Amino acid sequence: MVMSASWKNQLFLQILLLLSCCRHSSTSPTTTPLHPITLGPTGNKSVILRGENHTEKVELSQPINLTLECTWMGNQKRLPNITGYWRKDGEEIQDSHLTVQFENEKYNLKREFSISTEKDLGIYSCVFGSEAHTDFILAAPQIGEMRDKPIVSYVGDSVGIICKMDKAKPKPHTWFWYRENGTDKDRILINPQPHRYEINNNDKEQMTKLVVHNLTQDDSGLYYCGAVYGIGSSMGHVELKVITIMEPLKPFLAILVEVIILVTAILVYEKTQPVKRETAGDVTNAIQKNDPPQEEDNKPEENSWRLRKF
Amino acid sequence: MNGHSVLTMANLKPKSENQHEKHEGPDGGWGWVLVIAMFVSTSLVFGLMRSLGIFFVEFVHYFEESAQAISWISSIGLAAQQFFSPVAAALCNAYNARVVVMTGGFLAGLGFLLASQATCLVHLYLTMGVITGLGWGMVFTPMTATVMAHFTRRRTLALGLAFTSIGLSSFAFNPLFQLLVDMYAWRGALLILGGLSLNIVPCGALIRPQRRSKSQPKVNSEGRPSCAMMLQRVASYLELSVLCERPYITFTLAVSLFNVGFFVPYFHLVAHSIQAGFSEYQAAFVMSAAGATDILGRVLSGWFSDLGYFRLIHLVSLWTGLAGVFIMLLPVSSLSGSYATLMVINLLYGFCSGALTSVIFAAIPMIVGVKRTMGALGLLQLIESGAGLLGTPLSGLLRDVTGNYIASFMVAGSFLILGTLTLVTLPHFFSCTDPPPTNPSALRESSSNSKDQDVTSELEQINSLAADTNLRGTE
Repeated sequence: MVMSASWKNQLFLQILLLLSCCRHSSTSPTTTPLHPITLGPTGNKSVILRGENHTEKVELSQPINLTLECTWMGNQKRLPNITGYWRKDGEEIQDSHLTVQFENEKYNLKREFSISTEKDLGIYSCVFGSEAHTDFILAAPQIGEMRDKPIVSYVGDSVGIICKMDKAKPKPHTWFWYRENGTDKDRILINPQPHRYEINNNDKEQMTKLVVHNLTQDDSGLYYCGAVYGIGSSMGHVELKVITIMEPLKPFLAILVEVIILVTAILVYEKTQPVKRETAGDVTNAIQKNDPPQEEDNKPEENSWRLRKF
Repeated sequence: MNGHSVLTMANLKPKSENQHEKHEGPDGGWGWVLVIAMFVSTSLVFGLMRSLGIFFVEFVHYFEESAQAISWISSIGLAAQQFFSPVAAALCNAYNARVVVMTGGFLAGLGFLLASQATCLVHLYLTMGVITGLGWGMVFTPMTATVMAHFTRRRTLALGLAFTSIGLSSFAFNPLFQLLVDMYAWRGALLILGGLSLNIVPCGALIRPQRRSKSQPKVNSEGRPSCAMMLQRVASYLELSVLCERPYITFTLAVSLFNVGFFVPYFHLVAHSIQAGFSEYQAAFVMSAAGATDILGRVLSGWFSDLGYFRLIHLVSLWTGLAGVFIMLLPVSSLSGSYATLMVINLLYGFCSGALTSVIFAAIPMIVGVKRTMGALGLLQLIESGAGLLGTPLSGLLRDVTGNYIASFMVAGSFLILGTLTLVTLPHFFSCTDPPPTNPSALRESSSNSKDQDVTSELEQINSLAADTNLRGTE
């Protein structure tokens, strides 16, 4: 229930952000996120906490002054005063301690945060004493439906790796592709030669496609796609496995051998059974010989029929 | 008349037993081995064909073509299988069923092997479509006709058991193919599929080559073969003579009408269920449930028809009529919104559709005789393929025009019922309403004598014997 309400809130938030963005001139960042904007757009996020804790996901695509509000219904103790404070990524935010009154059957904490760079994203928590807290996960829109199974392709072949942002989420400014290099990521750049990589962006479908030509076994590994927003970028990853034709050839050859063995066995078994077949044939011939002419189809029946008729 | 006919019967019995052995062989023994071979080969043809959908998803991504362009692959494959059936039958009549089936298995495997190296969609059309389809055509008709020739009393049961392979194997192949594609991508998976298809070759090797009932009477030219004689030989291999007989034409027409409507639920039931408001999981389960009762229907109908309480042709009409009715009821039942009603009708439809596949092929020897079954089956496949091509696009068109599937299902069901009515016009259809005890056995013996009428009463039997002698005289 709360989640569905929060989705609607998110959508409202996105619309608010989009509208506020359109008023600004679009300064699309090409490399690093923007400088902090003091008079930026604003947004609100409020959550009513009923139990012990709660987690709320907030997706941001632009720098924003975000007001987070937590309302706690309290527990049995119902203390008149309680200490509340804010945390970011587990660490207490300085000067955020407040004494919260128990008004109208609830406790209320509210604070404004200036989210302007990627560093400002993270998990913000409002804590009521030591009993209850709500976590707000602030992040750029996540790439959904990433393929969890590795993409398999062959040496010398081409492969296309797709990253798609859900249409309901805001459109990324641009897409980047990275290749895993140890613990780091290397940016994939398009070189005119050797023409190995191709990046096709489809803004309408909100997707990007990396095509790798002329694969080699070294191309195996993790590939990251990054959707770049004003506030930062969100990553998705896909594993690519490049194999040679030898891999499927092994089971194929095994089946081929099995087929050859079976056929040979069947034919040999048949060749070693000539005695039985001939005796069966003899029996059939004997029966045929006993009754007068039987090989031709129905002359005998015709004869017997005619005989009976008279 | 009665005593007269009893004597005739008594004289016929030992002869029929001999011709039994000469033309069909005893029920059982090597026949059951062939049933196993047919089980495996049919699963590798039709069971495999049904599970190719998994590859199509991969093809759409790799070749960047529309789903419709990709679906042509299986359409071409099926069309090739049915189109080349008479050719395969003719080759069996001319040479050897064993060689034909083994070659067919080899071609099917070759097609997949070449397809694994495809670089464009046309390659797939030619390899996975034409070559593999040709291979399939050279497997299905000969195998089916051979198994039918090896049985008389248990024919329908043998066919039913062998055809259960289609349903069972598509259960097994779907996850298997998904696994292969995940491990080896579509290229490697197609390569392994080629290997799997090669398993048809040992199945063909199991066919013993001694049952040659076709070649000798035809080889009457001694010196140089003239054009007319060659044409005559080819015509006899293709069994074109059946095309001039009214029972066969009626039967073929009926089967073609069945084909128009038969596959419609298979293609559209899931989409229709989702449109009727059920979840994807429920819709998929509907298909699986129909598949399960389909398998059950095949075996039970085969066993039941072999008990001999009813004429085979009556059972064919029964199952096709019922299947038509249930197809028409399918959209009606889901209109009410009740999942249980849809499920019940769906299970009944699955059972009837399985039941009719068992009996429909077994009816061919009843109509044209066992000796001509090979060619007749091939020609039937060819003629019914045209109808099948018509059915699915028609239902799709109706759906696009009306916006829902009700019209498509209604039309499909009505085609089946129309086919049943066509069957009713077969000669001697209404005889044997109260089958006396001797008649079913008389029917079997008359068919085992390779006569080609639906004979029931003794008078008609004797008349048909006379008619047959005239027919044989002209051959």
